[in-house]
Amino acid sequence: MKKMKAISFVAFLSLILVISACSSSDTGSDGGSEDGTTLTIGSWRTEDKASYEKVIEKFNEEYPDINVEFKPSKNTEYNTILNTALQSGEGPDIIHLRPYTPGIELADAGYLEPLDGLEGLDQYPEETLAASKGTDDKQYGVPLNISTTQMFYNKKIFEEVGLEEPKTWEEFMTLNKTLQDEGYTPISLGTKEGWLLSLAHGIIGPAHYGANEFVDNITAGETEFTSDEFKSSIEALDELKQFFPENYEGLGMEDIRTMFFTGDAAMFPLGSWEIEVLREMNPELELGFFPMPSAVGKEPTITTWVDGSYAINANSENKDAAKKFLQFMTTEEFGTMFTEEFKMISAIPGIESDDELVNSLGKAVEEQSTPYMMLVHFAGGNPSTKATIETELQGMYLGERSPEEVANAVQDSAKSWYEPLK
Amino acid sequence: MKHSIWSKPFYYVFAFLIASVSIYPILLMILSSFKTSSEIFTNPLSLPETFTLDTYKSLLEQVPFMTYFMNSVLVSVVSVALILVTSSLAAFYIARFTFVWNNMIFFFFLMGMMLPIKLGIVPLFILMKDLQLLNSLWSLIFMYVATGIPLSVLILTGFFRTMPRELEEAARIDGAGNLRILWNVVLPLMRPALGTVMIIQFIQSWNDFFFPLIFITDDLKRTIPVGMLSLFGEYSADWGALFAGLTLASLPMIVLFFIASKQFMEGLTQGAIK
Amino acid sequence: MKPAMHKPLTLKKQRNWKRLTIHLFPIPALIIYGLFIVYPLFAALTYSFFDWKGIVRGEFVGLDNFKDLFTLQPFSDLFWNAFGHNILYFVLQMIFQNGLAFILAYIIYKKVRGSEFLKIAYFLPRLLSVIVVGFLWKLILNPNYGALNVILEKVGLEDLEKAWLGDPDTALISIILVNCWYGLGFGVLIFLAGFQSIPKELFEAGKLDGAAGFAMIRRIVLPLMVPSIMIMTVLTFIQSFEAFELVYAMQGSQGEPYHSTDTLAVYFYRLAFGGSAGGSTTAVGLGSALAVVLFIFISFFTALYLKYMQKKQVDL
Repeated sequence: MKKMKAISFVAFLSLILVISACSSSDTGSDGGSEDGTTLTIGSWRTEDKASYEKVIEKFNEEYPDINVEFKPSKNTEYNTILNTALQSGEGPDIIHLRPYTPGIELADAGYLEPLDGLEGLDQYPEETLAASKGTDDKQYGVPLNISTTQMFYNKKIFEEVGLEEPKTWEEFMTLNKTLQDEGYTPISLGTKEGWLLSLAHGIIGPAHYGANEFVDNITAGETEFTSDEFKSSIEALDELKQFFPENYEGLGMEDIRTMFFTGDAAMFPLGSWEIEVLREMNPELELGFFPMPSAVGKEPTITTWVDGSYAINANSENKDAAKKFLQFMTTEEFGTMFTEEFKMISAIPGIESDDELVNSLGKAVEEQSTPYMMLVHFAGGNPSTKATIETELQGMYLGERSPEEVANAVQDSAKSWYEPLK
Repeated sequence: MKHSIWSKPFYYVFAFLIASVSIYPILLMILSSFKTSSEIFTNPLSLPETFTLDTYKSLLEQVPFMTYFMNSVLVSVVSVALILVTSSLAAFYIARFTFVWNNMIFFFFLMGMMLPIKLGIVPLFILMKDLQLLNSLWSLIFMYVATGIPLSVLILTGFFRTMPRELEEAARIDGAGNLRILWNVVLPLMRPALGTVMIIQFIQSWNDFFFPLIFITDDLKRTIPVGMLSLFGEYSADWGALFAGLTLASLPMIVLFFIASKQFMEGLTQGAIK
Repeated sequence: MKPAMHKPLTLKKQRNWKRLTIHLFPIPALIIYGLFIVYPLFAALTYSFFDWKGIVRGEFVGLDNFKDLFTLQPFSDLFWNAFGHNILYFVLQMIFQNGLAFILAYIIYKKVRGSEFLKIAYFLPRLLSVIVVGFLWKLILNPNYGALNVILEKVGLEDLEKAWLGDPDTALISIILVNCWYGLGFGVLIFLAGFQSIPKELFEAGKLDGAAGFAMIRRIVLPLMVPSIMIMTVLTFIQSFEAFELVYAMQGSQGEPYHSTDTLAVYFYRLAFGGSAGGSTTAVGLGSALAVVLFIFISFFTALYLKYMQKKQVDL
């Protein structure tokens, strides 16, 4: 009996070994399809796979010999996977680059191919290119899309309560109170996940620190995070917590999204990428947005930044083909397809979207945009200043920190690495 | 009576209470996978109003589930077999002999558990590249064997030590070699420990998602956890689908366990020294 | 038990040969383990002696990274904060996972009716992937839609409802208890295997002695359970100080909220690989230094404990 068992186990094992040997022997044929080249694209956008396949199809109309494979990996592990591969001299031919500091770090480390002379780069404004420009002043990435953050609102609720988009900070505060009195949660925001807090500060903060003027000053080293302007932006966030949902300290992204699309909450301070998700979850939702009205007598603002760029791996064996693909990504043809397919704002100037909401967001960007300061300018340092403000704000909402202490910690963090503030 | 606290009713209530805490969340996961998001929000504890497999169908249409499944089976079975062979040889050596360096070897094996293996991921990646194992299931098998050895050696050594020496001596006097003693005397007696190692290592190799994430780029070479987890990003808003995804990622292991559990459990109880 | 039919070697030579072949036994394990674990880890440990710019290695800086780790803010505060959490992790796991597992294994060993079912039930959570466990419990502990708060409400304990994972007072404990939920079955298996390798006669002898209940457990069972207790203690110690996956799955790479669930391994991950989503920077040198410190700490105490247990075993 026992022997039988042992024999059948060994037989089973060897069978498996044979199968696996067969299946691993076909790995060699991966090199390229027929005589064409195969390009791989690495990205964190697993949800965009189908859309990218359409883009690739379009690309192949012009370049049928170049076989392109879109291979996204899990969002949260993308950096680890990519960095490991790059450090070992591997990695995809085309790299979806995180914007600003992390992407630029890769460029400075020599893992990316400079895009000197790539046609179509000159159409982008300087701020857009800055998301993937190395410290050597060379361009390493083709900007893909602009993300915006703003206050979304539920039009039906606003109508029912008889509210209009606020034009001043006072109006915004009264509006919150009215909503609360009517039994709605005014602002759907939770503080469990830190990144939501720097995002919220990116939307609400400019109304208090005075938007672009402050950004210009601080990047020039002429003011500090301990200044009254900045402190008041933190205090404003603190004050707003009375309008957050119950148990807000335990709520994360999914929860606040759910509260908003189910109509429990009236406003939702988040980014343009949520539009598609919200519509899918509740097709009936009448979605609106408004720019944040200023508390210090300036123009209302929409917060923007470049959300991703595409770059070429310096170790790639198919750089020419990769350049052709990036070039394709600068064309109007691609831009139009991108906005339509992905429902996002293309980084290519002047591309109109067929979606009314996306289009009006795009318009607003051109007229009243302010940068997402923490991401665009202060994502450096260790821990990064952006991570510092996230943790500190979390501490503030838990009652461990005062707004003043938050501002001090942000200043300390920035001072430790940001040249103009040293 | 002194031991009245250990009388039967108390046993039962206590043991079964804990068992229900162990099972309930898993049941909840499976039940919730048949619900819609709004059903979950309004009535998280009730039974689903209708049983529909639509969510499962749409999830399965998006991924080559059978391929993932086969990859997982292959990787786990080969890994466990190699772990059992290598670890019992090593544990036998450490536990049944008294060479001066045995404690050192034992500790050397333990050291592997004391550092986060993620630390060495770049040297590992380069190693796999040099061995031409990138994007091959063998990279996973070697990693699971290597990461499984410390725990297995720890468990097996601990148990091998408990075996009375007389049995072994008897076999030795009969002229049996070490290999034969291990195979015919030690291992049959150590079935509870071997069974434990087998289950644990099988689960470990089956559920890992870090190494496939790093070493495997080809979608068709992915294992179940990585394959299924890549779907999560898309469904973060839809709790029903999310629960279905969680269930799908776990179900093969649960089913396998129930098929094999009779075997495992028998092995666990019969092997005891009478 | 067949004697060898023919003997080409003299008995003595054969003995020598056999004595030598025994040294081949640990070789396969050592090779695989050495190549895929020891080599890459030690190659990476040298990172801690270098200055790093992002993911590019700079110059040799000796022990500077270690010094920074303990003297520079916020690194040193974060270290001690996480270290305290690891200790709590260990203590609570010893009590709620191993203590409970020991008792439950004894109940199963005593063969109450339904013990087969119990064994399977305790072990079920262990079948899930940690990522799935994290996800599942995140949904269960959700303050507004989660099952736990709903249950509390149904049984009239509304006052206990909480944002379990959002409140710094309960977040870490919740995670550790989830970890116990996950690991309980493994403990039961190990202790059960331990009970089963105790010769039955000893139990009988104990009964004749008049030892009952706890007295018997303490006098007779416990000493014989030393191997399984040793295994579980060493494992729990190492795993508590390497606790990573569950925290990462449930609270992200920052040990949120406000670092209240941060552990040394999560802190290490954050330093070595940056935050989970983009926008976070890496400090590979500091991260590796942290790993070295962690390694020295764990190996020191493990060695100490093993020495102590060995003495105890010899004493028996």
